[in-house]
Amino acid sequence: MPTRPTTLWRDAARRLVRNRLAAAGGVVVLTLALVAVFADLLAPYPYTKTNFGRLAEGPSAAYPLGTDQLGRDLLSRMIHGARVSMLVGLGAQLIVVAIGVPIGALSGYVGGRVDLLLTRFVDVMYAFPRLLFVILVMSMLGAGLTNIFIAIGLTGWVGIARQTRAQVLALKEREFVAGARALGAGLGRILGRHILPNALTPIVVAVTFGIPEAIFTEAALSFIGVGINPPTPSWGQMVGEGQAYLRSAWHLCVFPSIAIAITMLAFTFLGDGLRDALDPKLK
Amino acid sequence: MLTYAVRRLLWLVPTLLAMALVTFLVMHATPGSPLDPVAEGANPLSPEAQKHLAAEYGLDRPLPEQFAIFVAKAVRGDFGRSFVYKTRTVREILASALPVSLMLGSMALAVALVGGLTLGVLAAVHHNRTWDYLSVSLATFGVAVPNFVLAVFLIVLFSFVVPLFPTGGWDSPRAWVLPTLTLALGPMGVIARFTRASMLEVIRADFTLTARAKGLGEAPVIFKHALKNASLPVVTLLGPMFAALGTGSFFVEAIFRVPGMGRFFVESMTGRDYPMIMGVVLTYGAFLAVMNLLVDLLYGVLDPRIRY
Amino acid sequence: MMRPPIPDAQFDLLASRLAAIGQSRRDFLRVAAGLAALGAAGFNVRPASAAPRPAPGEKLAAEQHFRYGGGGFFQHDPSSHDFNKDLYCNGVPALFAGLMKFNADHQPVLYVAEKVTPNADGSVWTFQIRKDSRWSDGSPCTARDFEWSWKRQLDPATAAPYASFLYDIKNAEAFNKKQVTDPGQVGVRARNDWTLEVTLEGPRGYFPVLAAYLAALPAHRPSVEKHGDRWTEAANIVCNGPFVLETWEHNRVMVLRKNKHFFGARDVTLEKVTIPIIPVASGSLPYENNEVYLSPLQPADLRRLQGDPKTQKEVFRYPFPGTWYLIPQVTRPPFDDVRVRRAVAHAIDRENIVRVAQGFAVPAHSMIPPGFPGALDDPKIRALQRFDPKLALAQLKGTPYEGGRNWPKITLSMRDEALGAKPLAEAVQAVLLEHLNMKTELEVLEPRVFRERLWKQEHQFVWIRWFMDYPDPHNEYFDTFYGKKTTGKRQAWTNEAFDREVEAGRDTREPKKRLEHYRRAEEILQTDVGYIPVAWVVRYAAAKPWVRGLQKNRQGETVIDGNIYVDMLPHLYLVERT
Repeated sequence: MPTRPTTLWRDAARRLVRNRLAAAGGVVVLTLALVAVFADLLAPYPYTKTNFGRLAEGPSAAYPLGTDQLGRDLLSRMIHGARVSMLVGLGAQLIVVAIGVPIGALSGYVGGRVDLLLTRFVDVMYAFPRLLFVILVMSMLGAGLTNIFIAIGLTGWVGIARQTRAQVLALKEREFVAGARALGAGLGRILGRHILPNALTPIVVAVTFGIPEAIFTEAALSFIGVGINPPTPSWGQMVGEGQAYLRSAWHLCVFPSIAIAITMLAFTFLGDGLRDALDPKLK
Repeated sequence: MLTYAVRRLLWLVPTLLAMALVTFLVMHATPGSPLDPVAEGANPLSPEAQKHLAAEYGLDRPLPEQFAIFVAKAVRGDFGRSFVYKTRTVREILASALPVSLMLGSMALAVALVGGLTLGVLAAVHHNRTWDYLSVSLATFGVAVPNFVLAVFLIVLFSFVVPLFPTGGWDSPRAWVLPTLTLALGPMGVIARFTRASMLEVIRADFTLTARAKGLGEAPVIFKHALKNASLPVVTLLGPMFAALGTGSFFVEAIFRVPGMGRFFVESMTGRDYPMIMGVVLTYGAFLAVMNLLVDLLYGVLDPRIRY
Repeated sequence: MMRPPIPDAQFDLLASRLAAIGQSRRDFLRVAAGLAALGAAGFNVRPASAAPRPAPGEKLAAEQHFRYGGGGFFQHDPSSHDFNKDLYCNGVPALFAGLMKFNADHQPVLYVAEKVTPNADGSVWTFQIRKDSRWSDGSPCTARDFEWSWKRQLDPATAAPYASFLYDIKNAEAFNKKQVTDPGQVGVRARNDWTLEVTLEGPRGYFPVLAAYLAALPAHRPSVEKHGDRWTEAANIVCNGPFVLETWEHNRVMVLRKNKHFFGARDVTLEKVTIPIIPVASGSLPYENNEVYLSPLQPADLRRLQGDPKTQKEVFRYPFPGTWYLIPQVTRPPFDDVRVRRAVAHAIDRENIVRVAQGFAVPAHSMIPPGFPGALDDPKIRALQRFDPKLALAQLKGTPYEGGRNWPKITLSMRDEALGAKPLAEAVQAVLLEHLNMKTELEVLEPRVFRERLWKQEHQFVWIRWFMDYPDPHNEYFDTFYGKKTTGKRQAWTNEAFDREVEAGRDTREPKKRLEHYRRAEEILQTDVGYIPVAWVVRYAAAKPWVRGLQKNRQGETVIDGNIYVDMLPHLYLVERT
């Protein structure tokens, strides 16, 4: 019994690798992370290098993905954009999960007065229109990457808290939890070993959706003028700015969109695989 | 259950009050003054004109007093007059904009639900086969493409390449199609993903296996047992999803020129239109709270194990 | 009837009058320079031209239903149409007719007034009103309506934000500031139904200009008294202009109908005008889809429309003189060092920067765009900021930033707006990085936040524009860089010698000498690098081939509705589509 958690995770890892799609997703995510880390080495040009003779040109030999409105290499900017987008996506989700899951789990499992209080708090936070509140917070804090984390994190955790609570509510009545309780397991143990692994599905799924959502929120903020400061590129910002040019220079908006879509797919497959791998019912 | 519902509704009052207070404080702490003229690129008003205006808006009073006045009026449904749209009160503006957004949101949610459930079930039933990949890809596409890109893409496709619909407006049902589709695709992807995930789980669960073992056909198993149980997480989604869709999307409404509420989520803030900000936040909050209550009640109906 | 032209002292009064109303004052003052040319009367006595008739070969379309908007026109729902209360309400000016109006050359001409007579020193003005002047409900629109409207604007109870616009009227300021409580003492009086007598605080030769501006439009008393601020809703409004407001579906569309009671109705060809509210984000889509027939353009669409043989003839450039420039804040390092500022000036690769504006900018070497009084093409001044990367780096010698090292954190601030502002700023960032190794962060601020900090001179480095208000160097140098200004000052930079030249320019009558003062002012400004000119503004619009009657100014440029000239709609007509 004491060795079970290690086996669970090791089992999961083995099963994850065997799942081809999930493995592919994992590889893409890992690659993106590496791209983000080593952007300076990988990019063919500095992301600020302009070529005023070749503005908003389509793909060519010199510029495999074309150039942007300032004649900068789109590929290089996307490579650097990966950094911001991954940071925004992962960073914000980290904050979201770190706040949301414990609150949701506690609220759902303990119930009673604690649940009431936490639910009320969650309800207040949840009831804010997201975009308006993010803008409000950003207007107060000012533009910048850190502030985007804070703004998205502060407004995003409630969704996952509610999800977790709902899941925990349903699970705590299940036989295996009741069994564990009967065996005298403590709160932390029941939540951490029995309930949360089983409640993982919606959390993982929510996180895989939260990542592009965070990327888009960043895009929307850049669009409105409270996002990331140029010349630092981010995919969301590139999509937002390229949108007006969709009919004259399609590549400006299409390639970053594809990058976001691929990232999203990768996280989805990885998330699915994780879910399957972690599912104790599937052996 | 009725007492539960009543209690929840009563809780709405302190919830809204807390929201109002938070918004009020953050709003006043934000740089940029509502006394700045609305016109673009304008110089500041003269100090006297600012004083006049501040008095007219009631901004010359101490903050606690302003808040008290706001609450006292808001209780009677009076959010005051917009600082930007001077011929109308906040209530009138919302009364004309919200129904438009509600209608657009309902249509989009209907499309998203039908599409999302279908895709999700298809994917789960054909787990790891072509249908699965197809519907996961489609669902992912829906979530992964930002709606302002999708909007322009659809306009180019259906207004110019195949001239079926206008580029925007809200005058005829023909104008409703593109914004509805644009708005529906994202939620459809989300619903499909959640449906697929929980369907897979439920299909493997004991009671489904039992149902199968009892000799029930595949279709009844899926629709009667699996879908009902799998819809739980999806139902949780619907409340906030409808609140978000029903109160309008800034980008979709801006690009398609839909006279809904979405624009005010951004414009009330950039215009420092204080009464409008409060009105928008509280309307959204109340709307969402009611939606969530409905969802929780529905939850109880779907899953009898949950007690209130 | 021969009186001397308007004295300069009065122009200064006009300037201070307009200083109170902010931005529009600049837009508005565009007309002031033209005043001198108009001589003693203070306005162009030629009556406004009647609507043009179809040229030979043109066949009027059966349905005179015009649609316009998008690209920046009516991108937001108007806050009202009550110009009488707030000239910045963003409403439709064609709903109202003032005593006078501006023609395509920004000169005031007669409109509701059929005759304007000043007394000997220009301190009392008598407006004779057309007897056929009517409200859209058929009732006469008389001198009493104007008296009531102007007093309404001045009444402190109305709290009109720009009431100071009418402070030239006797006791107007005192009444607005509650020092005089009897409206009867305010110097505007209807002598009878058709004669309005305006007594001013003193001689004001420019008064016809004020009378032609949006702020002097009338409001319909019974409607205002019955409906309050809601009187401009479509269901309530009674107006006196060429058009009436048939419907106003908020945030959606406004529909105007020809006003059959308008005195000039015979000359108005359009029967119906539809103005959809279209955000800038829609670009030219509605125009290309024939949902609107006239629309200003944005950079993303210009090249494509110009390149398309179907639309290239529809695109035209319209006058909108303005200058994009940089303000290095001399109170903040590294720009407190003039050598750094010079380095920046030489590092700006203007020819390349403007390329990113997609046609919406041309390289600028001084404040005043070519073709306007005071425009300079002086090799000496060009040399001051000639693009030369080597020279730029050389300027840094001896500074802590020699060789482009040790730069502190530099933030370039701008406000969020369309028309290529951001790509231009990013191009500036790029050339500074390339030629000076100066890394800057671009801060795109909300307009309100940007302005708040601008007036406090808190920005370190600013990307900003100046739209010319009236074609006179006074506007481009005095209103922007004059060091002794107390409000609305954009930069901390001041320079005694510069101020003296600008003052001399203001006080000199002889045109050649005057321009020489301004040339020297520009030279000082650029030698001390109080600003760095980058680009001049260019604007484009497009109109469908069946839209005719757009007016041209004296330079032969097509004009469309702007801030001063708002007389486009009554001149338009539609011909049959071929």
